[in-house]
Amino acid sequence: MAFATPADATAPRGLAAPWRRAGASQSVVLGLAIALLFVIVAYPMLWLVLAAFGIPGPPTVEHLARVATRAQNFDSLVNTLQLAFGTGLLSIAFGVPLAWATARSDMPLRRSVHALVALSYITPPYLTALAYIILLGPDAGHFNRLLRWLLGLEGAPFNIFSMGGVIFVIGVHVFAFTYFLTYTALQSVDASLEESAQVLGAGRWTVIRRINLPLVAPAITGGALLGAVDSLALFGPQAILGTPARIVFLPTRIYATISGYPPRWGEAAALSLVLVLLTVLGLAIQRGYLERRSYITVGGRGVRTGRTRLGAWRWVLLAFCGTVVFFSAVAPISVLAITSLSKNWIEPPTLANLTLAHFQAALFTDQIAARGIANSFRLATGAALIAVSLSAAIAYLDVRTTLKGRRLLDYLAILPLGLPGTVIAVGILLAFIRPPFSIYGTIWILLVAYVARFIPLATRSANATFRQIDPSLEEAARITGASWLTAIRRILLPLSRPGLFVAFLLVFIPAFGELSATILLYTGGTETIAIAIYRLNDLGQLEVVSALAVFTVGVILALSLLVSLLSGPGAVAADAQAPVR
Amino acid sequence: MPRLSRRTVLGGLAATAPATLITSRALGQSDAPSSPAEIDLAKAKIEGKVVLYTSLDIKIVDAVIKPFKEKHGIDVQYYRGGSNDVTSKVLAEADAGRLLVDMVDASDLAAILLMKERGLLKPFKSQSVPAVAPGLRDADLTWTADRLTQAVIQFNTKEFGAKPPASWKDLTALSGRTVFFSSPNGDGAPRIYTLAKHLGWDLVKGLAATKPLRVQTPQLVTQVLERGERGAGFLQNDNIAWRSKLEGKPTDYVFPAEGVPTEIGACGLLKASTRPHAAALFYEWWMGKEGQDLLVAGGKYSSRSDIDPPTGMTPLAKLKLLTLDYTEFKRDRPKVLDQLAAIFGGEWGN
Repeated sequence: MAFATPADATAPRGLAAPWRRAGASQSVVLGLAIALLFVIVAYPMLWLVLAAFGIPGPPTVEHLARVATRAQNFDSLVNTLQLAFGTGLLSIAFGVPLAWATARSDMPLRRSVHALVALSYITPPYLTALAYIILLGPDAGHFNRLLRWLLGLEGAPFNIFSMGGVIFVIGVHVFAFTYFLTYTALQSVDASLEESAQVLGAGRWTVIRRINLPLVAPAITGGALLGAVDSLALFGPQAILGTPARIVFLPTRIYATISGYPPRWGEAAALSLVLVLLTVLGLAIQRGYLERRSYITVGGRGVRTGRTRLGAWRWVLLAFCGTVVFFSAVAPISVLAITSLSKNWIEPPTLANLTLAHFQAALFTDQIAARGIANSFRLATGAALIAVSLSAAIAYLDVRTTLKGRRLLDYLAILPLGLPGTVIAVGILLAFIRPPFSIYGTIWILLVAYVARFIPLATRSANATFRQIDPSLEEAARITGASWLTAIRRILLPLSRPGLFVAFLLVFIPAFGELSATILLYTGGTETIAIAIYRLNDLGQLEVVSALAVFTVGVILALSLLVSLLSGPGAVAADAQAPVR
Repeated sequence: MPRLSRRTVLGGLAATAPATLITSRALGQSDAPSSPAEIDLAKAKIEGKVVLYTSLDIKIVDAVIKPFKEKHGIDVQYYRGGSNDVTSKVLAEADAGRLLVDMVDASDLAAILLMKERGLLKPFKSQSVPAVAPGLRDADLTWTADRLTQAVIQFNTKEFGAKPPASWKDLTALSGRTVFFSSPNGDGAPRIYTLAKHLGWDLVKGLAATKPLRVQTPQLVTQVLERGERGAGFLQNDNIAWRSKLEGKPTDYVFPAEGVPTEIGACGLLKASTRPHAAALFYEWWMGKEGQDLLVAGGKYSSRSDIDPPTGMTPLAKLKLLTLDYTEFKRDRPKVLDQLAAIFGGEWGN
């Protein structure tokens, strides 16, 4: 079996690097991967820039000027910045105390709190937004009715349809970034530093203020920035809560410029560039902060961590942490579950009000819902398979060869991580609506969008996997006569199978519930589960919508647990997974 | 006979390729039926399916499609969105030179006029022509109205049992208790503009002053009212109010005597359709008595004068209907959307 192929016979002999002994099969496989990556990532971004300057029409800066001169555009920019600022602050207020509580205190139920933060992180924020309409709708919302009854109030105490409401709902999702980064940082703070301070007479709060906080400050700021940047892109809650509140954000504004008639491509592209600029700025600052962390706690020896004994205060802390995770995970998911099982969601959940009919409708009888589920499974599987193959090729080039420009490829494959879904969708729409790749109006455009959007997750995973496998194993195979393809197929791939399977799941999970790009690219027949949820909610079918929501959360939760099982404890961390949005 | 050089052959091939394309397209068009008599059932069956873009409620679309599928064995795939979603999708496909849709139906006549102006639609001498009043169809039959949708005041009967709001003016007194719909890309705007045009901008400003809850679709207006979130609403779609009452929800509705904004929903066939026979067959079903009866069963007023209004609904002749000049609206639309955005705030799509 391990004979040299004719292609190999023409390749230079000797113990050169595997790349140079490659031959035709290697060139074809890797060349294809490079071409594909350019078509799905670089080409749409090129069109985004071109369209912002009016191309294919006569070149103009009019669209870019309109961003600053039209109140509708400028207001959406200001609102988006307010949102980012608000969620950034909120994520510090929620994330830091929780991280300290679970990482460094003796608070009870630490593991449950940790798990519930992870749950609020993987719940698609558009579902949280729908849940909060049921919970905090100004008049009929459950919590508002309860509070009115308890306190004997005239009006509703809370209105979720407000800037505060949008910031809150997005905040209970993105605070997980601050939480996980701070948690990790706190775990690496050596307890001897705290003890030294205590020996020198510092009190408990002084230790936190003077030792812990400065040490983890870069992680806190970095996490808050990451949360703020993420909140810029969350089309779902911005549209679901912002529209009734009459607050426009950049993603919803971009959606409106394209989905009204006639579609205004140039304006949408120009607004997208502004959104990219904000994202890039935020991520650049965030990177700077996180890099500063390295010189603080790096040490050659193992870190000993201790837990602060809080006495009775631990119950106070537990009350705070419990409240946060109640509102971020328990309440929204429970209310969706209860609604999905209620004949009439406004009535109390008694036995007489119980039904499974909505699940039957969502999974079987409702055409759009059933089609959405089938399409989402199909698309997520396809996108994950392609993304893993593509990222394996890119990771191979990066790890195993000295090819010039491989860093650029790696960068190209990581780039979409920083791009909002709306922006990717506009680029893909502009690029694939015209020849030579006119696939607009087919399911293929969604596949391209998902691969482009989530390939960074697979790339990082594949890269890490290949790095762990010693190249000498493949070299041994080559020396004994195996072709390049055989060495890959029989040595590298089997050894990296578990890692690549995790990469598959890391793409599948966010692709399964993707909304912000899909909403601009789907058509009749290619509805996904997120579209079914969004559209059926528009048509007022809240019970079916909540059944679909519960199903979606169930699938995402099960697969996320599988990921953390496969990649060891603590894997459902902020940097291991992309959330669904 | 001159010797053929390689270049001549290639040049010839290059020249015939577009020519072939043109002829096949031209053939496709000349073959396309322009009246029911020209519909070829066998060809329609070979074409196999129809792609419809519509802004009609899914439940009604499903009801109309089902018997057609059973009768002809021809599949109907549809995309359902607001009128703006539907129109922007057709225009985007046209921009791309790749129209996937065979028939379009939207409740905003200005949008249909824009598609006609862009040369996307083709005339068709439907059998329904004698049944549809001349004002409700295009002079050259490029489009036909299929339904009329009136705005009503819908209210929660628990909140307004004895004394419901009866006029638009009454709504302006219900501060903090009102709701209306307008999508971020401009659905809902035409009927609010109709109100302003006939009864004055002050009335519309008065409605805005009640700080109405804004939702994205008419279905959500009704949902908000059913659960008592708000008490009364400017609901652009009478059929939804009708159904809510029929289903026994705690709502009712009135057609105010000051006048009722009405919107003409219309449909047309795409010129570039690759399934012209199946599409025309479906068009005839949609506009025919059976199809329109199903529309009416779903709560819509038919454009055909030989079909009664939905059970329990006031005949149109007894209502004071307020309409728009849609050519004018098409022209002024960006300005109107900006005006409404200034009055109500939020995104209106311009």
